[in-house]
Amino acid sequence: MNAPAVQITRTSFTYPGERIAALSQVSLTVEPGQRLGILGPNGGGKSTLLKLILGLLPVQSGSVQVLGMEPAAARRAGLIGYVAQRADLELGAPLSVRQVVQLAAAWRLSPFSMIPSGIRQRVERALAITEALPFAERPIGDLSGGQLQRALIARALACEPKLLVLDEPTVGIDAPGQVQFAKLLSDLHAKLGLTILTVSHDLRAIAAGSDAVACLAQRLHFHASPQGLTPRVLAELFSHDIAGIAGLPGSLEGTHIHAHGPGEPCSDPAHSHTHATTSVTLTTPRGQADGTISGRAEQ
Amino acid sequence: MTELLAISPAALAPAQLELWAWLSDETQRQILLPALAAGLPVIIMCAVLSVLVVIKRLAFVGQGVAHSAFGGVGVAAMFAAITGVSWAAQGSAFELGIVVIFCILAAIGMSSVSDRKAVQVDTGIGLFLVASMALGALLVEAARSVASSRGHPVGARSWESVLFGSIMTANWSDAILAAGAALVVLLAVFIIRRPLLFYISDETSARAFGVPTGAMRVALMIMLAIATVVAMRLTGVVLSSALLILPGAAALKVSRRVVPVVLLAVSLGVAALIVGVGVSLQFNWSAGPCVVLALTLFFIAGAIGHRVVAIRTPPPEDTPATPTPIAS
Repeated sequence: MNAPAVQITRTSFTYPGERIAALSQVSLTVEPGQRLGILGPNGGGKSTLLKLILGLLPVQSGSVQVLGMEPAAARRAGLIGYVAQRADLELGAPLSVRQVVQLAAAWRLSPFSMIPSGIRQRVERALAITEALPFAERPIGDLSGGQLQRALIARALACEPKLLVLDEPTVGIDAPGQVQFAKLLSDLHAKLGLTILTVSHDLRAIAAGSDAVACLAQRLHFHASPQGLTPRVLAELFSHDIAGIAGLPGSLEGTHIHAHGPGEPCSDPAHSHTHATTSVTLTTPRGQADGTISGRAEQ
Repeated sequence: MTELLAISPAALAPAQLELWAWLSDETQRQILLPALAAGLPVIIMCAVLSVLVVIKRLAFVGQGVAHSAFGGVGVAAMFAAITGVSWAAQGSAFELGIVVIFCILAAIGMSSVSDRKAVQVDTGIGLFLVASMALGALLVEAARSVASSRGHPVGARSWESVLFGSIMTANWSDAILAAGAALVVLLAVFIIRRPLLFYISDETSARAFGVPTGAMRVALMIMLAIATVVAMRLTGVVLSSALLILPGAAALKVSRRVVPVVLLAVSLGVAALIVGVGVSLQFNWSAGPCVVLALTLFFIAGAIGHRVVAIRTPPPEDTPATPTPIAS
């Protein structure tokens, strides 16, 4: 039997000098091939959890295993593909998309060796599957938000990982770009069988690319399929950060939430069809014009 | 300054003639050739590093490292004043070594203070910068009185030479030292170019991909410290950080490809050295400021050219292969 892609057991983490724990007694299991979206407000511990999964922070209590290994070992073995927030990238760097992808695959090579054809082929495959080949020679600073996101995913895939981790992947991408992005993730999942972990404070990003949801604000508030995601859970999560849900008005009072997993028929008569991906729809009393969230990506 | 900025290409022609006249004369050639031989490796090393400095936004760190040299000069002067040994006198390899070590420690200190987020990055760098300058000023002053009270020769450098350098007084030993330092730094850049470039362009991701980002940061700081100390001879502390910014900044305005950017930065640096030295000979000005002003003019030209190209180029667009409407 395959080991879980990610297994976190009763893990807490407190940064040195801080009195309040960033994470408190979090337990979470992500099965191989699953697409889990971790939703939470800013400062809710999402980045800390991500760093623990990547092995960038030491485990203080409990345990964290990635593909049955210590996280740092899994990362060193190239089993984790990481897509950072685009804000971390120096867009002024004189590098083309192809060079950015190559760097990730070839940085360990001897300084005196050329890049072997095996790595070049992996790079080309990653560029092709993310549909980044048409702009592979363009400088990274010249890309649109959606193109840059595809380039960063290509970089993560160049190491042929088993687990793809995305940190706030839709920041700075317009609505059509987000739909395209959700489709890309769905395609990658179908073609490569990747386990995909998306961390975001944007409900749309989580809803469009996940078949399970976990809500995190220091502790785990919810971890199941999207059907159980209720306004109460969201209100608890975002009580101090309501603006964190993109497009949502200031109050959740009277909000209707409609959520279901991929391939499941809608119970709502207004949506009596099946979606290929997770769908979470929030409807506020003030209606769509006032900020209805529709996180669906249909196929 | 205004006069220098107003130099036209026509005015540069006599400067080139003056440079040629100096090269034709045996006595003057003995002054000019070591100066150029010392300046060339320094400018090439600084130009390559400047590309990394600009991409990683380390211009203020460069400034901080350069000014930390004051502290090193002060420590070396005090050591020479107390011991009175000749091998610790100003301009000696000992002094250079002390300054390099001081700059490296300051650079690592700045880097780690910024990394711990205990203070803002610019506050941390500013702290090291002013503290080093103050320490250097006090130690040099104290060294003078200690040396005279003990009857040792006063070996402390003049502030002017520390601040603005004196490339025209460089000798062949300086040239060999500069060439050796440049060789070490450029070789190091070549050897770690892949992880270094990954670290420079995206530190967070590089760390997640396993790049030893801490080691890369320290390596970069050591290289910056070495370059700064060697560049001090050419342009002094005040202007040496300019050599670590301007060639790269100008080249990045012109090209967005890594190899052309590095080659262009080196070419601009070498051109600025020749123009700067030529102008300094023609008008009998200090060479260091002339080189820096030449680089500044190259940067301004590059920035104007970049602006013109940007106006003419349409912004990128997402080109969806199969546009999918947002579900309602």
